[in-house]
Amino acid sequence: MFAKGDRYQQEYRVSDSVYQGFIRSFQDRNPLHTQADYAHEKGFRDVVMHGNILNGFLSHFVGECLPTREVILHTQQIQFTHPVYRNDNLRLVAEVEDYHESVRVAEFRYYFVNQLEQKVARGKLTLGCL
Amino acid sequence: MESLEILNQVTRIFRDVLDNPGIVLAHETTADDVDDWDSLTHIQLVVAIEKHFKLRFAAAEISSWKNVGEMCEVIGKRV
Repeated sequence: MFAKGDRYQQEYRVSDSVYQGFIRSFQDRNPLHTQADYAHEKGFRDVVMHGNILNGFLSHFVGECLPTREVILHTQQIQFTHPVYRNDNLRLVAEVEDYHESVRVAEFRYYFVNQLEQKVARGKLTLGCL
Repeated sequence: MESLEILNQVTRIFRDVLDNPGIVLAHETTADDVDDWDSLTHIQLVVAIEKHFKLRFAAAEISSWKNVGEMCEVIGKRV
């Protein structure tokens, strides 16, 4: 189903509706995410998007963008390397690093880049094939 | 690699994957003896063992294991 070296890409936009929906769903109104003056004071150009919005994009990628929907997420690891701002356009690039046929598990390495080609996050996913 | 060394390395993998530094494995140990060793963590254990020992198991091989000792025996034949 998956083979080492398989590569996938998916585009995402951190729209206002994604941002507002995240806050509505999870109630994280930390000033870094909601108060521009506070974010400026801390050295950011605008409010910083919640890092876990990217995990939502990863969920979409795993559930909807692979050649099969018959997968289950086993493990997920992420490192945030650059802030993400509202209306950023992100590209997720994911590659199968290894496939374990015995237990039908694919290990992915992935990263997100923004419209300036800055890497904003990277990590690993482990998916089981159902 | 000697049998005891394989068992020690497998034990370290179990402790890491199951996040339980208190795990002590013996050749007779089965999933019933280890907290949180279930069908899902079993997959994670196999992946971690394959990566650690740089080997690949066959699906039929995995399902035939009755205890940790049988797993270690297969590892011993491959490393």
